Amino acid sequence: MVDGACLELVGKHETSREGEAEAERALIRRAQRGDRSAFDTLVRLYDQEVLRMTLRMVRSEEEAQDLYQEVFLKVYRSLGRFRLESRFSTWLYRVVTNVCFDHLRQQKSRSELPARAGADGELDYAQALADDRPGLNPEQALRAREISRRLEVALRQLSPRERMVFELKHCQGMKLRAIGELCGTSEEAAKNSLFRAVQKLRQDLSDLV
Amino acid sequence: MNCDDLEKTSSLYLYDELRAEDRAAFETHLASCAGCRTRLEEARRLHRVLSECPQPEPTPELLVRCRQALDEALDREQLGWRGLLRGWMWQFGAAPAPRLAAVLTLLLFGFGLGWTLRPRARSLAPLTLSGTTSPFGASDLGDVRIRHISEVAPDPQSGGVRITLDAERRVTLEGSLDDPRIRQVLVDTVRGYDNPGIRRDTLDALRTHRDNPSVRAALLYALRHDANAGVRLEALKTVRGMQWGPDVHQALLGALEHDANPGVRVAAVDALVEHAVEEGENETVMPVLLKLAASDQNPYVRLQCLAAVRKMEGNEQ
Repeated sequence: MVDGACLELVGKHETSREGEAEAERALIRRAQRGDRSAFDTLVRLYDQEVLRMTLRMVRSEEEAQDLYQEVFLKVYRSLGRFRLESRFSTWLYRVVTNVCFDHLRQQKSRSELPARAGADGELDYAQALADDRPGLNPEQALRAREISRRLEVALRQLSPRERMVFELKHCQGMKLRAIGELCGTSEEAAKNSLFRAVQKLRQDLSDLV
Repeated sequence: MNCDDLEKTSSLYLYDELRAEDRAAFETHLASCAGCRTRLEEARRLHRVLSECPQPEPTPELLVRCRQALDEALDREQLGWRGLLRGWMWQFGAAPAPRLAAVLTLLLFGFGLGWTLRPRARSLAPLTLSGTTSPFGASDLGDVRIRHISEVAPDPQSGGVRITLDAERRVTLEGSLDDPRIRQVLVDTVRGYDNPGIRRDTLDALRTHRDNPSVRAALLYALRHDANAGVRLEALKTVRGMQWGPDVHQALLGALEHDANPGVRVAAVDALVEHAVEEGENETVMPVLLKLAASDQNPYVRLQCLAAVRKMEGNEQ
């Protein structure tokens, strides 16, 4: 049974969400008028998620840092054209997707780059792993590293579009419809890209399965 | 649904992306086809393997670096001609269309008039700056930062233009940390400046004077209250090298018990245990370590606390 108190809580939650959205719109309006501190605040609201997305997309701290900067400079330059009827987060994530997609496409066209190697000659795949790595036991950690290394190599074999859709689906957990919107394509095309990506990964990683 | 369809949709099934009716058809076919069940099991194993793969997480240090680099890039962007132009465009963009049209017409008219009267302007007049609050001379214009332009008034008679703007000047301070004024700027930066990258650099600069009372207080403040984990970690490293006292002890215990970041908590364990082993003092540290070894939400912190307890017990024996 949903009692009155629950309904009241739901109502308050909705109100606070609407309040936050209004505060964000006010911030955007100020940033559109050239208020740098408002823009900085806007950046702080989203930049951790943007950095996480770019890092997962390119799996290199250095490249993720470049992409992070490119995303926010693009947002800064085109914020004046943003219409407040749309959701800022959707617009921002579309910019992130476009920037990452262009980056992956350029990387692909520069041909198959060698995997980045660390000082010891090992692939540099684990440089940005989370703090809680040591919580795994040694066998798990070793297996996770091996999978990570193999996955990174396999991901490089995907087309930029396939990689993009796979990362957004598998790592970000987004729905394919949203992925289609972000990538400027249909849900059906996103489904096809995901299918092709998974097929290729299955081939490349078959011995791990 | 046949075997081919099932093959094509198995990843959608595993990612829960099938519509209810497709899912029902999928499961109906699966129930009657052993081959497809085997293939789905393989796909499920791949799904599990991919899920075992740790996802990269941005470290606080990376975030700090990114923010710092973006801040500098935005400064350059704002100071360049594009920034100025954008500032004007934003103002005009916010204006209603007729007003915008009027402004553009006036601008065109002004340029036309200026062009027509061009021969009358014989030579460039010297650049002058006025305003009672202006702290600089004309030669200093190169290092001012333009915040806001409130008026651009061309003068058709002289061919000149009057620009009214708010500007701030970039100043470079150089000096020793023995100079209390330099120290004060740095201390204020640690306590209140909003760029975490600069706060971290400032901590580094203050390291050599960490036992000065005002610097010491600022470092402990940063360890306790800075919003950025990378800065708190840097503060902790500096605090660790300070002359030990009850204030340091309390700040480190506070970080161990209450800091939200596991990296900071682990660094606090190291610092406290090192001191406790050296000085043979563990009355206050041991109970906290025992509590966290059992209850900290992060497995690595629990592990480190347990190792620290063993180290301290070994030291007692």
